[in-house]
Amino acid sequence: MEKYASFLGCQIPMRLPSIEIASKKVFDKIGLEAVDLGGYSCCPEPVISRLLDKTAWLATSARNLVLAEENGLNLMTLCNGCYETLAETSEVLRHEPEELRKTNEVLKRYGKQYKGKTNVKHAVEVLYEDVGVNKIKTHVVKPQKLRVALHYGCHMYREQPGVDIMRKPNMMKELTRLTGAQVVDYGLERLCCGYPSMQADEEFSLKQRLMLKLSRMQEAGAEAVVLSCPACTIQFEMGQVMLRQQGIQFNLPSINLMELMALSFGVPSKDLHLEFHKSPVLQLVQKMEAV
Amino acid sequence: MSKQQTRTVERLKRELGSDFIEAAQPRQRRLFIRIMPAALRKTVTMLKQEYPELRLMTISTVDHGLDLEFLHHFHANSNGLIVTLRSIKPKEDNTLESIVDLIPAAYFIEREIADLFGVKLVNYPKPEPLILTKDWPNDKRPLRQAMEGELPPQARPSAETLISTSCVAPISTFIQKKREEAGLPRTPPFAFTDEKAMQEFQGIMKNTGFAEKAGYDWEKKRLRYK
Repeated sequence: MEKYASFLGCQIPMRLPSIEIASKKVFDKIGLEAVDLGGYSCCPEPVISRLLDKTAWLATSARNLVLAEENGLNLMTLCNGCYETLAETSEVLRHEPEELRKTNEVLKRYGKQYKGKTNVKHAVEVLYEDVGVNKIKTHVVKPQKLRVALHYGCHMYREQPGVDIMRKPNMMKELTRLTGAQVVDYGLERLCCGYPSMQADEEFSLKQRLMLKLSRMQEAGAEAVVLSCPACTIQFEMGQVMLRQQGIQFNLPSINLMELMALSFGVPSKDLHLEFHKSPVLQLVQKMEAV
Repeated sequence: MSKQQTRTVERLKRELGSDFIEAAQPRQRRLFIRIMPAALRKTVTMLKQEYPELRLMTISTVDHGLDLEFLHHFHANSNGLIVTLRSIKPKEDNTLESIVDLIPAAYFIEREIADLFGVKLVNYPKPEPLILTKDWPNDKRPLRQAMEGELPPQARPSAETLISTSCVAPISTFIQKKREEAGLPRTPPFAFTDEKAMQEFQGIMKNTGFAEKAGYDWEKKRLRYK
């Protein structure tokens, strides 16, 4: 049985616990042991805190990695932003001795030391590489007959130099197809959803990012958008609410890959508590169950 | 550093204790001494004893947004040594302790600072405006900036929540209840659920200077600006 330290981040447990529930159901079914990381903090988020103070950003992130190291486990994240922070910290500390020294100097006060023994993976990688497509296939008992568009999320493209940036997005695409969903291409897959730019320019974020994506998804005939990042999910859901307030009508269900997988594994929708969503995910799933 | 400068710095360290922060000599005849604001008058008194020819050149003030930095520049001796005392006060304090009784030459510059930055002079003999009219509004001082830190407005709630709770999304009672109904623990195993973990996390926020840069008030558990 594969065993990982599970890094839930902030947004999933606080705003979208249905993703937490779905992931537990999926991991249980496929025999992946996800150990909760006790005493963890925000990864911390990769935009504001990194710009404000790099040492604090690295030390806070390294503390989370050390918690996994202390358990002798590799780390798995369900959030793209957490993946970016934790994977990048891991890279920086493995290759930049001065940053490692500064980070460990901070951690030393609390009896901690980053040793670089923990690898960081996104749940998509864990499912695809460690569990494997063939094993996952055997658990799909209720294929989801849906046309879906994929939004991978910017941090999903982060790779080591020389590695194809589509490595993880391709994994996500294949995992989505395993659920029985039909993936439709809409040509703007790589465009950011606008979540980070909401901090600076709401109009730009909604009209020049989210709305462009939603329009193309709609034109491509998508019945839902599948995501792997909670921040992007919040942007797709709250962004549609905000656009509607401006008279721009979109109502596309925004479902997380873990939720879609759980449904395809036969988990009843009521067990997933999809009511946490602000887009009509629950209605879409109930409609499909009725069919 | 000359023998005299070394002796002065050593005396200040000894007599000011924790009110002495640091001394730096960027050039041969330039000495910067950073002190806690409460030690300003004591330090000026000691400088007068160390350098009998001590003369106040000027006092400059820098508005850093959340704090005001006062730089008292002194011409110390005939060798051209300039000693600058640096003290930083939070704007919430909004006072400058007068040194007029120790150095009469501070008479005009302190009033000018009071006028331009809107700070209150403490122990100043006759605190009247110097260059502004008496009815000049308190909230419109020519060189005073808004009480703001480095974070843009949209980033402030997240930063405040991060430092206070160890996560960027606050957990409401509603969500806790809903989590419980869904069969999850009321809260995930965040640092804020464990005293030791929280001390570690907030220790990092303090010791790296992150909280200070963000402008976090540890007593009030919130940012010093909205």
